[in-house]
Amino acid sequence: MALKVYDKLKHSVRYFLLRRLPACQQTVEMISQSMERKLTLRESVNLKLHLWVCAWCQWYLEHLHIIRDAARAKAADAPDLTSGPALSAEARERIKKRLTGQN
Amino acid sequence: MKEAQKQSPDCAAWLDEHGDYLFKFAVFRLRDQTAAEDVLQETFLAALKAYENFQGRGSERTWLVGILKHKITDHFRRVTREAPIGEDVDEASEHTELFRDSGQWTGHWDPNHAPTDWHATPFELVERDDFWRVFNDCLSPLPQRTASVFTLREVDGLKSEEICEMLNISTNNLWVMLHRARLHLRNCIEVNWFKRTER
Repeated sequence: MALKVYDKLKHSVRYFLLRRLPACQQTVEMISQSMERKLTLRESVNLKLHLWVCAWCQWYLEHLHIIRDAARAKAADAPDLTSGPALSAEARERIKKRLTGQN
Repeated sequence: MKEAQKQSPDCAAWLDEHGDYLFKFAVFRLRDQTAAEDVLQETFLAALKAYENFQGRGSERTWLVGILKHKITDHFRRVTREAPIGEDVDEASEHTELFRDSGQWTGHWDPNHAPTDWHATPFELVERDDFWRVFNDCLSPLPQRTASVFTLREVDGLKSEEICEMLNISTNNLWVMLHRARLHLRNCIEVNWFKRTER
């Protein structure tokens, strides 16, 4: 019984907030800005409340950080881990020639 | 003793020892093999000229990577200088299709495009070559400047102000571009990698 009331209340709060806060489209823009600058108090409260009731935007925020962290980690030691394309033999020869002034 | 060291370095050995490393470093950032080869050549030429100043101060590779970074920056500057900014910030590239355009939930995620749980950590992803292929393919369709800005910010970790100054753009334009790039890339990676691979 108590649980049911709690669920209902939670649903109402969620609905109330989602209807009144900036929508997801504005929120994802704010999430991006939060990675670039300090948000104002109002922006920050709106963002926190939205994230509190919206799992999609929570994931969005998490994913942006996953991408950033992975990209920076990759950049730090990328070349040793990558099996990507190597320098082609022709390009290597061409550069060697340029460097030794044979061309 | 010092005199002997001052002679020009063995270029062939340089290329063999650092060529692949520097090339991959450049390709990861430029996503273009020809451009990476050009940048690599410029790096070695500059290194050859500056070799006397270097003379065993620290590791040769670190020194070369430093020069390469400058050359990559020059490249970004060059390719973004000519391109008009319109393409990067106009409304066409806004990805409005990801959000509902009518009804009481206008502006909220369209359930078909809403983010899902990735069940992944950055640590795992770093070692997945197929992930980085998708990452690169997803960055490619972005306007040149937007992709460059994203790379400088998220890959190299430069500060907003540094990027604005380097590419001569306003902070607002930078934020718009970063937002567009993130929105596009996240969605593209989810569709092409997380929803496709059986893991």
